[in-house]
Amino acid sequence: MSSEANIANLIQRVALRDRAALAQLYPAVSPKLFSVCLRILRDRSDAEDALQEVFIKIWQRADRFAVAGTSPVGWLVAIARNHSIDRLRSRKPVSDSIDEAYTIADTGRDPEAETVLKGEGRRVDLCMQELEPDRADAVRNAYVEGLSYQELADRYSVPLNTMRTWLRRSLMKLRECLDR
Amino acid sequence: MTTSENSPWDGDGDDILAGEYVLGVLPVSERRRVESRLVEDQVFARVVSRWEADLSAFNAVYAEVSPPTGLYARIEARLFGAASRTGASSPAASLWNSLVLWRGLSFACAAALVAYIGFNGGWVGEAKPSLPLVAELSGKDAGSLTLMAHYDTESGRLQLAPVSAGPAAQHSLELWLVPGGTDPAISLGVLPQTGEGAVEVPEALRPRLGEGVTFAVSLEPLGGSPEGKPTGPVIAVGQARRP
Repeated sequence: MSSEANIANLIQRVALRDRAALAQLYPAVSPKLFSVCLRILRDRSDAEDALQEVFIKIWQRADRFAVAGTSPVGWLVAIARNHSIDRLRSRKPVSDSIDEAYTIADTGRDPEAETVLKGEGRRVDLCMQELEPDRADAVRNAYVEGLSYQELADRYSVPLNTMRTWLRRSLMKLRECLDR
Repeated sequence: MTTSENSPWDGDGDDILAGEYVLGVLPVSERRRVESRLVEDQVFARVVSRWEADLSAFNAVYAEVSPPTGLYARIEARLFGAASRTGASSPAASLWNSLVLWRGLSFACAAALVAYIGFNGGWVGEAKPSLPLVAELSGKDAGSLTLMAHYDTESGRLQLAPVSAGPAAQHSLELWLVPGGTDPAISLGVLPQTGEGAVEVPEALRPRLGEGVTFAVSLEPLGGSPEGKPTGPVIAVGQARRP
């Protein structure tokens, strides 16, 4: 994957309506963003549609990146996550079967190759260790898979309100730790 | 944690709401409410951004998965319309690109065209009642071609002979008569790949062939222009004169 600076530069050029820059950004970041869509939507064709929408949003919103001042990949992943989560939440309640897309997203994991994402976000890993393991796990799965409170409650076999309390308290503790 | 006097800041409550939004656990209606607040409440927007940055460490678990080929073409078609693809992906698009490239070359050719009008006694041979027309058609760029044209007014036969080699054989060479003024170019036919050959000028066109008319050769899809007018680059051009 290209460096953060390259990707930031491409996003800024996309903001200037540079089509060639979008064509370069796509191969650089689409595998990451497709993975996000797949993991959250768990359906390959839905994830393909979502990825198209994500790139259309990137084209439309690139001008907002300059002021955001955040990690470019993080900014792109946030667009992909938000779009996928909205799509998931708007979906009619359908069978929740975990198909092969889920497995595909999980194989070939190579954290060593993910160096682009190092930085300020690293600190949260330390703070996660201060949470009880199952709660830390729930926080992580909520984020990574886009699970709703109800899905989390089902997965951890606790009442919905208990799950809500778990996550809210976990967020408070994380914020305290991160601000320390 | 800092607050702003102008913000409807709700301290920990807002911080947790922002965290829930970034985690993605909120139902759609609440997500929309959070997003409309993001637009008008800068302090709240910063709280959300901070959660996004803090939790972005989790992004490492999204291992890269290549999307199917052809997806980018669909994105481009949706954004820019089907005709305007920059086309990194499909073979058809790369052919299109190469035509665009060729067309760019043709402008250079036209700008630098050598309208050398040759008088070549050797060509004319023995004197005839009416003098033939001759023209040298040339372009300056790589892939261009130089042809000598010799038009026999008696027979209506336009003879062409290559002086320098032409482009590779994926295209047809089409010969055009450019009458001048605002009249469009008229096809005189497709030449053999070498550029060597003869064209029988139709009777109806013969009166229009005279001094000052321009001949041009363009690169066209195999078999000739599908549109009745030049679509590819002009690789050789020259003006006719009496020797």
